[in-house]
Amino acid sequence: MIFELLSVGLVISACLAIFLDEAVYSVAALAGTFFLTSVLYALSGAVFVAVFQFAVGAGTLAILFLSGEMLSEKPAKVSQKTLLSIVAVGVILSLPAIFLSVPGQKTVFSEVTFGEALWDLRAFDVVLQGFVILTVALGIVIILHERRKGK
Amino acid sequence: MDYVILSLVLLAIGIYGLLTKRHLLKVFVSVELIATAATLNFVMLVPSVGKGLGEAFLVLAFATDTCVSGVILALLVIIHKKYGTSDIGELVKIEQEK
Repeated sequence: MIFELLSVGLVISACLAIFLDEAVYSVAALAGTFFLTSVLYALSGAVFVAVFQFAVGAGTLAILFLSGEMLSEKPAKVSQKTLLSIVAVGVILSLPAIFLSVPGQKTVFSEVTFGEALWDLRAFDVVLQGFVILTVALGIVIILHERRKGK
Repeated sequence: MDYVILSLVLLAIGIYGLLTKRHLLKVFVSVELIATAATLNFVMLVPSVGKGLGEAFLVLAFATDTCVSGVILALLVIIHKKYGTSDIGELVKIEQEK
């Protein structure tokens, strides 16, 4: 039952994030989506993923809130009718996920631990991704610096 | 209860937002929703590939997602500073007037 409630909440918050006009409210709804997703992961037994989702979501949202404040005008009030219709759309959209199911293979091919998988099997990917993250961070710094210099 | 369908629903909402919304921040929110749908699908794959390997894939996916978010946000801030608007329609008009 808890999974069904979480999935309904997830779809409703996703709908709110898209359909609400004000950027700040939209970001607040996205925060709800991230939070519910991480709870869903934690309850499914994927604790590492839940912690990562929570950390990444918190970081992204902090920046998004600042950007939302900066990029949008004064937030207008959302009418109750609009809010209720968005929630209704969310509930209707989440019904297929609750009542339908896709047949799939549930065979476990390997029983490696998280540490082994990350550092032994995917070590090259991890190192490569470290480089990618470093490059992206440098790229962002350069983009912002060039912009400031251009002024 | 099926996570595949749930992730499909999230993907559909994200794509709808990506195609219809004109504010750049809303476009970014749509991209985030699509990424969330993808990671949810990865969680569904975890029983098939083994828990450790599945979680390792997910952590790598999160790192990529964070990189994408960083680049998009930097570009968003620059565009807003340069043109003074975040509306895609207005940006197209400004570019056409040049």
